[in-house]
Amino acid sequence: MRPAQAIHNWQSDQKGGPKLPEQKPEYVSAFRTLFGYAKPHLWGFIAVICCTLIAILSDLLQPFLMKIAIDDNLMSGKNDYKGLLTICAVYLGLSLSSLLFTYLQGNILQSIGQSIVSRIRKQLFGHILKQSMRYFDRMSSGSLIIHVSSDTEALNQFFSQVLLSLFRDGLTLVFIIVMMFHLDTKLALYCLILLPIIWAIAIAFRSFIRTTYQLARTRLSRMVAFVAENLSGMNLVQVFHQQKEQEKQFNERNSQYFQANLREIRTNVVFGRTFDILSNLSIALVTWIGGNAVLGHQLEFGVLYAFITYIRQFFQPINTITQQWNTLQSATVAISRIWSVFANKPDVTDRELAHVDLRKEEQDEDENERQASLSNFSLEQVKGRIDFNRISFSYEEGIPIIRDLDLHINSGELIGVVGTTGAGKSSLISLLCRFYDVKEGSILIDETDVRDIPQATLHRLVGLVQQEPYLYSGSIIDNIRMFDQSISREEVIKACKFVGADTIINKLKEGYDTRLSERGSGLSAGERQLISFARIIVFKPKVLILDEASANLDSHTEQLIQHALQIVSQNRTTIVIAHRLSTIMQADRIIVMSHGEIVEQGNHQELLEHDGHYKELYDHSQGNVAV
Amino acid sequence: MKPKRILADFFRKTWPLYLFSLIFHFVSNLINVFFPKVLGQFTDKLQGNGLTSNLIVDYSLMLLLIGIGHVLFNGIALYLVMYVGRKFEYLVRQGLFKHFTEMGERFYSKNGVGKLLSYFMNDVTAVRESISMGFNATANATMLLIASIVMMILSDIPYYLIVASVLPLLLIPIIVVYLGPIIRRRSMAVQEALGTMTETAEEQFGGIRVTKKFAVESIMNERFGKTVDQIKHYQLRLVRVSSFFQALIPFLGAIALVVALAFGGYLTITKQISLGNFVALTLYIRMLMNPLQQIGNVINTIQRSRASLERLNGLLSQQPDIAELENAKEMDLTEASIAIQGLTFAYEQGSNPVLKDIDLNVKAGTTLGIIGRTGSGKSTLMKLLLRMLDPPPGAIRYGQTDVRELTLSSLRSQLAYVPQDGFLFSTTIKENIAFSNRDLPLEAVETAARHAQIYDNIADLPNRFDTRLGERGLTLSGGQRQRTSLARGMIKDAEIMILDDSVSAVDAVTEKDIIEAIQRQRHGKTTIIIAHRISAIKHADEIVVLDGGVIVQRGTHAELLAQQGLYATLHAIQEEGSQHATGTSYS
Repeated sequence: MRPAQAIHNWQSDQKGGPKLPEQKPEYVSAFRTLFGYAKPHLWGFIAVICCTLIAILSDLLQPFLMKIAIDDNLMSGKNDYKGLLTICAVYLGLSLSSLLFTYLQGNILQSIGQSIVSRIRKQLFGHILKQSMRYFDRMSSGSLIIHVSSDTEALNQFFSQVLLSLFRDGLTLVFIIVMMFHLDTKLALYCLILLPIIWAIAIAFRSFIRTTYQLARTRLSRMVAFVAENLSGMNLVQVFHQQKEQEKQFNERNSQYFQANLREIRTNVVFGRTFDILSNLSIALVTWIGGNAVLGHQLEFGVLYAFITYIRQFFQPINTITQQWNTLQSATVAISRIWSVFANKPDVTDRELAHVDLRKEEQDEDENERQASLSNFSLEQVKGRIDFNRISFSYEEGIPIIRDLDLHINSGELIGVVGTTGAGKSSLISLLCRFYDVKEGSILIDETDVRDIPQATLHRLVGLVQQEPYLYSGSIIDNIRMFDQSISREEVIKACKFVGADTIINKLKEGYDTRLSERGSGLSAGERQLISFARIIVFKPKVLILDEASANLDSHTEQLIQHALQIVSQNRTTIVIAHRLSTIMQADRIIVMSHGEIVEQGNHQELLEHDGHYKELYDHSQGNVAV
Repeated sequence: MKPKRILADFFRKTWPLYLFSLIFHFVSNLINVFFPKVLGQFTDKLQGNGLTSNLIVDYSLMLLLIGIGHVLFNGIALYLVMYVGRKFEYLVRQGLFKHFTEMGERFYSKNGVGKLLSYFMNDVTAVRESISMGFNATANATMLLIASIVMMILSDIPYYLIVASVLPLLLIPIIVVYLGPIIRRRSMAVQEALGTMTETAEEQFGGIRVTKKFAVESIMNERFGKTVDQIKHYQLRLVRVSSFFQALIPFLGAIALVVALAFGGYLTITKQISLGNFVALTLYIRMLMNPLQQIGNVINTIQRSRASLERLNGLLSQQPDIAELENAKEMDLTEASIAIQGLTFAYEQGSNPVLKDIDLNVKAGTTLGIIGRTGSGKSTLMKLLLRMLDPPPGAIRYGQTDVRELTLSSLRSQLAYVPQDGFLFSTTIKENIAFSNRDLPLEAVETAARHAQIYDNIADLPNRFDTRLGERGLTLSGGQRQRTSLARGMIKDAEIMILDDSVSAVDAVTEKDIIEAIQRQRHGKTTIIIAHRISAIKHADEIVVLDGGVIVQRGTHAELLAQQGLYATLHAIQEEGSQHATGTSYS
């Protein structure tokens, strides 16, 4: 096994392993879909088959040509050197055409396969991006990555290996059999007795080899995981003085892997040798039967020679095809998994207004109103008033997350939301962003239901700064304008100056063109947060939601962030989910949530005087709790 | 120390196995080359009409015996060599792991985990491949080549015919050596493009909320599409060489056959060689094609693995930077105070010192709090105390003894340490908590968990303390990990305990409970708490404020609040806007 592959396997085992849906692959429909992708390339496939035929011809006809040379030229005693030269010339020509067509065949097949695979990849990715958040909650991002990269790669192997081998080796096998029958039917029939035996052995061994291979792979994964973990935690191992113990545990895994390897080697060696012995056995058989036939003048010696060579060639394609069996299986599973992703339709969709237009006469009063309110709705004119009208929501039936919540926010207001984990703060926000749809009630922005606003418009309208700001690999400037090249550099720089990120960015070696990697490593948590603020300034949403970072920012950075927050919240309806009260003490209104309901609201002073949940939270944060 | 020579050491130990394998290869090929000869003789007998029914059986059996003999010996030789290769892998990995456990801070900050894993996986495997598969193929092909040529000469096939026919075949290894690296480079480019695509997808799915929130799906689709097109581009570039390569090798074989047919045929017709020899010659040529191709592959493998071998030798030659002195002694740290005198420390010689002129005295049984911003030198100080970094001589003393004069085991077995990141191993919770001594009874583990305020969380898990973490197991939240890691430190009940920002991820209420538990449990024992939140250290007997590697303030919580300075500023920022918080609330 390739080591890089092993690490990758181990990582993907960790990421997505247990969460992959264990469904029964629907082979038929999966392959039908694949066939749909292959159909436009029909002529290409025909070309590949033709190339393959020509390419294998020289290898296949070689024993036959030798037979003619031996029987007609050498053994006949006619001393016909010209004839021999003709045969040489034919063979040379065949070899040259084989050289050319093998090359063509590989290239055409690959370019077809690659076109199909890259089309599937792009469509798959686009399809996944269209899904609603509920989908991303359900599927681990690890398993989605497996679909997009490993599964499509298995598909690629299907084209570059399985199909190639099926064409090449399959045709070779057929031709060898045809040639053998052409040369001598009886001898060919004897040889064919071998075929079922070979298949039986090959299949029996394959499954055996697969289990030993799997065993070695699992043990290797275990060992690599152990080493990777110990390397990252080596300081702990040393500080706790546990080197000996960890070494012992490592050696256990190492020797288990060693044992599995030896088993794999033994299986492979035995399998390979069995095949070889079988091949030798059949040669001896052919020599015996054929020799007697030659002796009885039923057969020419050249035919026997050709037979022996064919028999030796016979085993190679069989071996190659059986080797493809595993790839074929994993490709089938991959295809059906990809297909099941395609089958999933997003559950949050835009209402289809275009269709409504076509059926004007059927529109009732409500529809008319809806249309009217929408025609008034344009990004620039939105003021930012938000109404949560008695909404209820649950992720799973029977476990309500938000119950009958009523909240009205004026445009430009700064709202702080506090509450313990599970109080429903994040869900409230997800609903406003329409990551999910409410069960009951409605959410209105400037009197328009969020479900009536096209998602793209809504998402531009409502900005969200997450607890852990997410950065993409790419330059800082592209991260701020989200790779949208229509936003100018000046605009980005202006935004950064505004939130106070400019000085920090200019300190970096390449300034705004500094490339970020691995989710913005190289920047501190606070600096990443500032960049996400700059994004907000650039994209100018009318409503801003801020999920405050609770992670350990040091106090200095925290001040910077606070300052930036004040700037971005100007002239915007802003909702802050606070983990520390210091952030929201200045808010116009503070909402205290508990179990999906609003239990208290008011400004800082009012809530303190109220002496309820908020007061309790506040006292805890100050350490003012009597012990 | 002299540079490591892992391969030489290994050969010294395993040469008999190699020798056996070589012998078996030789025998196997010696048998193998009789195959064309026997068939040739058969032909001659046939042509000369000397063949009888009995002779046919003899010849068939002979062919069978040759086949079985060749396969058998070849199998043994193959197994031996592969066994040796795996043994090499096993031994080197064992040595590497041991070496890893000895290396210190500097080593790990220079080599990331990814890089070390690639030594451990890729380099070891590369060397293994050339010393087993490489040896195997070389031995096999050389033996076969020699044996066939000798056999052909012995069969009276004229040497000029042999040379002419075999010559095109000899081009095969040359072509493999030339095209091999090109194919390899191009296939690496494909792998890299695939990696880029996976990373892009990973990034997109991880940041799906952000992508959706800014409604930039189409831009992201385009970005992803570009990576897909890259793969296609590189894949097609690869297939242009690889399919040419695949076509070329059989072509050279065909050329050799054409030569044999034309030249050999001519000689047969003019009766200079027998028909049998002609048949044998064509069979030899087919026989030699595969091994010669393998030789080319081997040359490529060996070239690649030479670099790997050098890397491994280099890695194993590195000395651990923390080494025990020869006369290091065991010492009981009970009642030992910690004295730091004039400690100045820089990671690299000549670079800016991270710690400057630190003087500290922690009396046995007291609690020291260290506070400061990120980068103030807190963690470096802690690493020096644990001797994960080497302090200058005399700068850090436990009791009267320089930390450098203590054995590492006596120092580290009496120190408890709780790191910031709450790193846990993928094993059961019990094993994680009882990390310092896996044989501790469950009761001790439970008590430690209670002290670290994690007991209730663990008790709620289906398998309680036997629950496996990570790697297909359960993942704990940041705060839970920190508390489990705290329990791991507490269970040692050590004379000296160091907490490096160990409660940063727990909420305010739990933090308070934990600090109280620490105060109770650590009563009368030395404790050093590093924090960036004042709430975690305000109970300490002494607090030092680090800034830029210098102690800028020291005193108790009340004393420091009374002063103007960083401490008061930090306090103000952390508990801002609060007229209620007077700082006197500590009970």
